[in-house]
Amino acid sequence: MNATIEQLAATLETALGSGSVTADASALASYNVDGKSPAIFCAPKDQDEVSAALRLCVEARAGVIPWGGGTAIRLGNIPRQADVILELKRLNKLIEHDDANLTASAQAGIKVVELQQILGQQRQFLPVEPPRPDLATIGGTAAANINGPRRMLYGGVRDLVIGMKVVLADGQQIKAGGKVVKNVAGYDMCKLFVGSLGTLGVITEVTFKMAPIPESAATLVATGPLSRGLQLVDQLMQSTLLPAAVAVVSAEATGVDSVRPAVAVRAEGFEDAVARHLRQAQELAGRMGLRAEVLREETHRSLWEQIRDFGSSGEAVAYRVTVPVASLADVVETIDRWSRSERAARFVAHAGSGTVWIASAADPAGAAWFPRLTALAKEQRGHAVMVAAPPEFKQGVDVWGAPPESLSIMREIKRQFDPHAILNPGRFIAGL
Amino acid sequence: MSRDVLIRELRQIVGDRYVLTEKEDVIVYEQDASILQVMPEVVVLPADVGQVSAVVRAARRANVPIVPRGSGTGLAGGAVPAEGGIVLCLARMNRILEIDLKNRVAVVEPGVINIDVTKAVTKQGFFYAPDPSSQAACSIGGNVANNSGGPHTLAYGVTTNHVLAVEAVLDDGQAVWLGGRVADSPGYDLCGLFVGSEGTMGIVTKAAVRLMRTREAVQTLLAVFDRMEPATQTVVDITAAGIIPAALEMMDQLTIEAVEKGKPVGYPRDAAAVLLIELEGVREHTERAARLAEEICSRNGARQVRRAQSEAERQLLWKGRKEAFGALGALAPNYYVQDGVVPRSRLPEIMREVAEIGSRYRLRIANVFHAGDGNLHPNILFDMRVPGELDRVIEAGAAIVKACVAAGGSLTGEHGIGLEKKAYIGLLFNDDDLEAMARMRRAFDPDGRFNPAKVFPTPITCAEMRRQPAKIPAGLWI
Repeated sequence: MNATIEQLAATLETALGSGSVTADASALASYNVDGKSPAIFCAPKDQDEVSAALRLCVEARAGVIPWGGGTAIRLGNIPRQADVILELKRLNKLIEHDDANLTASAQAGIKVVELQQILGQQRQFLPVEPPRPDLATIGGTAAANINGPRRMLYGGVRDLVIGMKVVLADGQQIKAGGKVVKNVAGYDMCKLFVGSLGTLGVITEVTFKMAPIPESAATLVATGPLSRGLQLVDQLMQSTLLPAAVAVVSAEATGVDSVRPAVAVRAEGFEDAVARHLRQAQELAGRMGLRAEVLREETHRSLWEQIRDFGSSGEAVAYRVTVPVASLADVVETIDRWSRSERAARFVAHAGSGTVWIASAADPAGAAWFPRLTALAKEQRGHAVMVAAPPEFKQGVDVWGAPPESLSIMREIKRQFDPHAILNPGRFIAGL
Repeated sequence: MSRDVLIRELRQIVGDRYVLTEKEDVIVYEQDASILQVMPEVVVLPADVGQVSAVVRAARRANVPIVPRGSGTGLAGGAVPAEGGIVLCLARMNRILEIDLKNRVAVVEPGVINIDVTKAVTKQGFFYAPDPSSQAACSIGGNVANNSGGPHTLAYGVTTNHVLAVEAVLDDGQAVWLGGRVADSPGYDLCGLFVGSEGTMGIVTKAAVRLMRTREAVQTLLAVFDRMEPATQTVVDITAAGIIPAALEMMDQLTIEAVEKGKPVGYPRDAAAVLLIELEGVREHTERAARLAEEICSRNGARQVRRAQSEAERQLLWKGRKEAFGALGALAPNYYVQDGVVPRSRLPEIMREVAEIGSRYRLRIANVFHAGDGNLHPNILFDMRVPGELDRVIEAGAAIVKACVAAGGSLTGEHGIGLEKKAYIGLLFNDDDLEAMARMRRAFDPDGRFNPAKVFPTPITCAEMRRQPAKIPAGLWI
């Protein structure tokens, strides 16, 4: 930094008003990033104030940590510099809900649960399900690219976000995309910010596609030996069924079964279509010798909430392995074998996207998972990410894994958008 | 480097046969399917990624631009060499390199024709979802450049939702994979940025695209309306009812007239509009969705709702739609197609406005378009031989685009900005927005070597630009 904390706090206070800025250590105690405690907290009330704050921070060369609900704050490498928390919670308004167009725009700081309540009044919802929607914000969900279990039917964050407003590191306010579902005017700049973990700009508004709330939804849970569960998944993937989600959960990963692994098949849509999915999945499960049970209403909802929140609440270490979908069975079996033989861990695997989430305790055995998962993922042409871990686990590793061959372009993009590296410095891939 | 030295070098790279410089050879590359023309200086047809790299390096040494070209079906002048240089035609790189059904991925070269991807996997029960209306001719490389859409992208998404990764030759001549074979590759979403960049960031040499499982059931409806208004309202109501059809297309009276004048398919000639509604999914879903759609049509006063009872009847219903564009030739010697988008909720009012613009400029406009996602295709009919008429057509086109933006929409839904709409991009994005895009451009292509003078609202400097309606080959449809 080229200003003192006191100086920066004072200029921010002048720009944002005294109630919006504090340098009080006790107020900042809960805004810890990988063991680093920023010295200044500011909460701008609108996009202009976000811009003003960033302009002052870039002048002072202060490291800025954009903060939504804090639910993904454990993601990323240890920041090189963390001086200012820029909290978006006051940008919490719905801008527009065009229900006839199935689109909505909201400010970045709105909590996902609140947004869903508003959309639900028109029987619509945003098919993105971050863990802890009572805390997670829509802007944070987009920045961290948090996808939920139903991605296989509805698409991921990058598919659903169609427009954005962003403030760049130097305070420049820009718009990306628009409010229509089909749009090829100019570059698709939304893609730049989805998943960039706030390292290129601060998202202040998001426009996204919505889906109608289905008239019916239910889940078939099949329990039994893991290998047979994985065969069921394979059969489902080969069928013409279109489940909303298919998850493989280890024993104890959810409340569904404490001894045996299970496969959860979520169907939603018209009642007849849901019945058909349940019937066919049940038949397949029966043929595999799995015990099948249909969950509805509360038990259905609760299971998927557990799956959604897996690895996010208090777990010491969480990893994410992503492989081509046909390799998922091999990877899950390997992880299960390791878990039973030496390093206890629980997992949830999403068949549609080839993603496995693994959670384990913060002990040396938990730390040893990362190199092995990385090697396993690489064998299958995938990747492994250390999603959450205590800072000492992150020392000396890149939590994102080995950088891709296109790293030099990524570096150049970072240089173009944040030349002084003030936004989440060091937290992204290869220390970007 | 002199022009002769460059051409000698290019011949060494790709072979004499694949460097075209004579007027009678390059003239076929002077235009795409837009109305803009510039005669290329040199056209190069590489055979593989190594040759593409070498051509890019040679162009860099000679300091000349490179304009990538696929099949030339683009509608915005994207493949027109506005500032001269090398037209790099990727048509020879047309191999399907890998089909991995278990992982639902195909890896193809950029010159592969869109429909050939689906054809290669149909028997196994798969398809490639983006289906631009020119899919029998357009290439995957061109689709990647333009983030192409099509009728069935309503439910399945456009090209960007189906491209996992691209191998691209960048400004230094290196081939680099952007994106990955699996979801959520760590780092910035370079593949997502590259798709839709209209050839301004590099040359696609391979694309890994998603394959989808063929749906088990399909229902196709044709709804006939006596007035335009209830037809557009039906589109709004179907979306609002939570039905996402695989396709939801509209044709107006002028289009119907053209279709029935040419090869009749049985659309009622006195109808003001017809809607073609296609529903896909599991049988139980399509059955119920079709019934709901029929109810909505009837409630809005559809004169007739016909459900295809066989695959042959379904093909017949689609035939009119597919041939509509070509059929317009029966009404006027020339036509100019626009590509504006509005929020679906604004469809009724924008269609009124398009009709008004037509009468204001004394031009007939035939509408055949992707109503389900609010993507208009007003075809302005005219006669090139009438002095001044093309100018009026372009003014009317601009008025339509402006009306779409004013309604909260976009300039272009699937054709791209190219040369054609670069003067209008400022309607949608201010200088700061465009400057951010320019930063992206600089990160990939600091010298502005790839497809200069496109997308951004810069004046064109060197070459002479002419306007001439394209001769669209029969069978192409939009």
